Amino acid sequence: MASTAQPTPVSTSAHDGETRRDFIQIAATALVGVGAAIVAWPLIDSMNPARDTLAAGAPIDVDVSKLQPGQQIVVLWRSRPIFIMNRTPDELKRLQEAQDMSLLSDPDSKALQQPDYAKNWHRSIKPEYLVLVGICTHLGCIPISKPDPGSVEASWPGGYFCPCHGSKYDLSGRVFAGVPAPLNLPVPPHNFISDKVIRVGENPPGSTFDLGSVEQL
Amino acid sequence: MRALAAVFAAVVALLALGTVVEAQDEVTPPLPRQQWSFAGPFGTYDRAALQRGFGVYQNVCENCHSLELVHFGDLGADGPGGGIGYSEEQVKAIAAASPKQYADTDDNGQPIQRPGRPTDTPLPLNYDNVKQAKALFNGAVPPDLSLIVKAREGGADYVYAFLSGFPEDKNQSGPPYYDEYFPGHRVAMPPPPLAGNDVPGIKATADQERHDVVTFLSWASEPTMEDRKRTGVKVLIFLVAMAGVLYFAKRQIWAELH
Amino acid sequence: MAAPAGQSKFVRWIDNRLPIFAFMQHELNDYPTPRNLSYWWNFGSLAGIMLVIMIVTGIFLAMEYTAHIDYAFNSVERIRRDVNYGWLIQYLHMNGASFFFIVTYIHIFRGLYYGSYKEPRELLWMLGLVILLLMMATAFMGYVLPWGQMSFWGATVITNLFSAIPVVGQKIVTWLWGGFAVDNPTLNRFYALHYLLPFVIVGVVMLHLIALHQHGSNNPLGIDRKTPQDSIPFHPYYTIKDMFGLGAFLVVYALFVFFMPNALGDPQNYIQANPLQTPPEIVPEWYFLPFYAILRSVPNILFIPSKLAGVIALFGAIGILFFLPWLDTSRVRSARFRPIYKWVFWLLVIDVAVLGDCGAHRPEGWYIFAGRLATLYYFVHFLILLPLIGWFERPRPLPTSISATVTKRIDGALPAASAVGKS
Repeated sequence: MASTAQPTPVSTSAHDGETRRDFIQIAATALVGVGAAIVAWPLIDSMNPARDTLAAGAPIDVDVSKLQPGQQIVVLWRSRPIFIMNRTPDELKRLQEAQDMSLLSDPDSKALQQPDYAKNWHRSIKPEYLVLVGICTHLGCIPISKPDPGSVEASWPGGYFCPCHGSKYDLSGRVFAGVPAPLNLPVPPHNFISDKVIRVGENPPGSTFDLGSVEQL
Repeated sequence: MRALAAVFAAVVALLALGTVVEAQDEVTPPLPRQQWSFAGPFGTYDRAALQRGFGVYQNVCENCHSLELVHFGDLGADGPGGGIGYSEEQVKAIAAASPKQYADTDDNGQPIQRPGRPTDTPLPLNYDNVKQAKALFNGAVPPDLSLIVKAREGGADYVYAFLSGFPEDKNQSGPPYYDEYFPGHRVAMPPPPLAGNDVPGIKATADQERHDVVTFLSWASEPTMEDRKRTGVKVLIFLVAMAGVLYFAKRQIWAELH
Repeated sequence: MAAPAGQSKFVRWIDNRLPIFAFMQHELNDYPTPRNLSYWWNFGSLAGIMLVIMIVTGIFLAMEYTAHIDYAFNSVERIRRDVNYGWLIQYLHMNGASFFFIVTYIHIFRGLYYGSYKEPRELLWMLGLVILLLMMATAFMGYVLPWGQMSFWGATVITNLFSAIPVVGQKIVTWLWGGFAVDNPTLNRFYALHYLLPFVIVGVVMLHLIALHQHGSNNPLGIDRKTPQDSIPFHPYYTIKDMFGLGAFLVVYALFVFFMPNALGDPQNYIQANPLQTPPEIVPEWYFLPFYAILRSVPNILFIPSKLAGVIALFGAIGILFFLPWLDTSRVRSARFRPIYKWVFWLLVIDVAVLGDCGAHRPEGWYIFAGRLATLYYFVHFLILLPLIGWFERPRPLPTSISATVTKRIDGALPAASAVGKS
């Protein structure tokens, strides 16, 4: 620039466009953008479950040696009620009868509401022991166990009855047709770590099943 | 002139900063500095030392001190900073082997005592609650050790010096006991019995045990320190690079002004 | 304010309804800024960025913190140990407070040196002081939240100060506490207010910026902009300079956060609050030390007990700054052209450093005398020295214009000296 000329402020329109996209300026912008992303990640990740929350959701061991046939206990796992029922041979027989199956909406458990090792008529590993997530798939109430035939209505084969809106499930947690609930009761990951101890929250070796993958809890 | 002013300002700022560090007015000797594996910007915790130190803590310190912020599960791989190198099984075993049982209720609502679980924290063995501690120790409740290294001026060096500050002569009576480095020299804590429990390859002298237990307590005070320093190195390299690039960008844009 | 020509239809559609783009064009691209600003002018934007950092980290901390005396301390430790990156967010917030004050103090001293508080920027200056007061209140309450020993005892000492007010003092203290001492009600209300005040600060910062944009920035020469050659557009010159300043600042900030996170803090605050055990020293955070020294320095004066006198002096120390534009009688802004004031300014800086040192130590021995002398000097500086210096000082000749000092480097010839006085 001539020494006598007044230095003029560079007009901004010269920089608005593409005129001097230099490497340094692109690098600067890129680094600042990367920096912003690097800063965002810890903040977002801090909202993911913390270490102690994850630890509190660890599997729990339930001793069912004292559980009599026909009895059910309820345990809490990951803040949800888990039904563990010991079914009698009569109840197991009734579950396989065609009369029972005709009432059901999804008798073959086609919908993904259970792990692969529970995709059978007894929806469990051992037929006697049923493990269910006790939350109605309609709007989340806790169904009441009503295993005796005729205890809810004349044709009641035995199962679960939800008091909130009348949804019905059989003794494998399979939902009846024509009730508000759309899906079978979910089965959580569980494993027999010994003959009479069920570990709720862990799959048997060789199976990977995440309760979060079910269609609806 | 401008540079002089800037230097002046820096000196004044440093002086002002220096006021933050409290002068130890008590007549305690200056702290001897120790070698710590976790010192410096690249320091890490020596896992073997952490485990030995935890052993010393359980044998000696746990009698009177609590460690409320460290759960047994924190010692395992899922713990903060990756724990001190124990596996999940080891952690469960350590928890269950805890000498103190934990108060709980059974299914009928009756109070019971049960073995420890990974979610429990180590309990002091000689008392059940603070009031008992006060009665037992004449009002001097042993402080919780979870943050002791961060809660003392001088940090790990101080805690080590404190532990080594009891005179060799075991015949001193108390409380209070004399300690070279404790401000005021009179402390309610008796000299801890550091017996030798040799571990393969390491001779368990009292000195070694002090060093290990202070390493463990430093970890307990800040288990995420290694994450912090590792991340810090990466962040600082990135920031210096970014500042450098921004400087050249600034020079380039301003160069047009003449 | 017309939208810049050649903008897309989208921009025009928005601007027609809410003129954001025109606003940004006017306040950033077109906004004329003196071309000679030094790096001392970076600290305002740094303060703004620190405010954002504090608010963002604070919000994420608030998601995990429990404001109850039985849980507060442990909830903070839980953040450090169990929450993903909790240690990072917590250390950023903790050290962020210190760095917020560092940049703000430098920003203020810049203003003192270059006369940025003088006409027409008096309100700008006073809004800045309001921001400082809000920062101090926010920081004080924030420090109580971890519920460590210093949190509790610092809160006790400072809230007790209000009992010095005659007649209604103790009632006010009880009202502040919500009880008979600093306890759970106090912690809860401090949490609520600590969350609120930063947003009040944001509001006042906006007023501060509006006031700034009325007349634009001061500059190291202290003379007004006159011709277009004196100015350059804020964008891109000062945007990139501010970005670079931010980068350099972040390096120092990161050094502390990652490698010396507890250097500026007090180990005592890693001990849970114990109302039955007073710590050997009760010391506020470093940024309050000069004020703490002033508070403790004042002896009984006439019929005013020293406690009340100290409180008056403490608030007076900041209150007096509101009158600075009128106490400083010089018509020259920048200390560059004020040979006597320049040295007096540095004496003030030393005085504040001495006050800080006194605040960190127990008021005994030499510190009592030093604290009193430094406190007295502080008030003498503003009430006596500044007015006198303004009247009797012979300032150096001011340059004709900002651009003149630039062109002089090209021509090699000096510009003609202007008459003494503000140009």
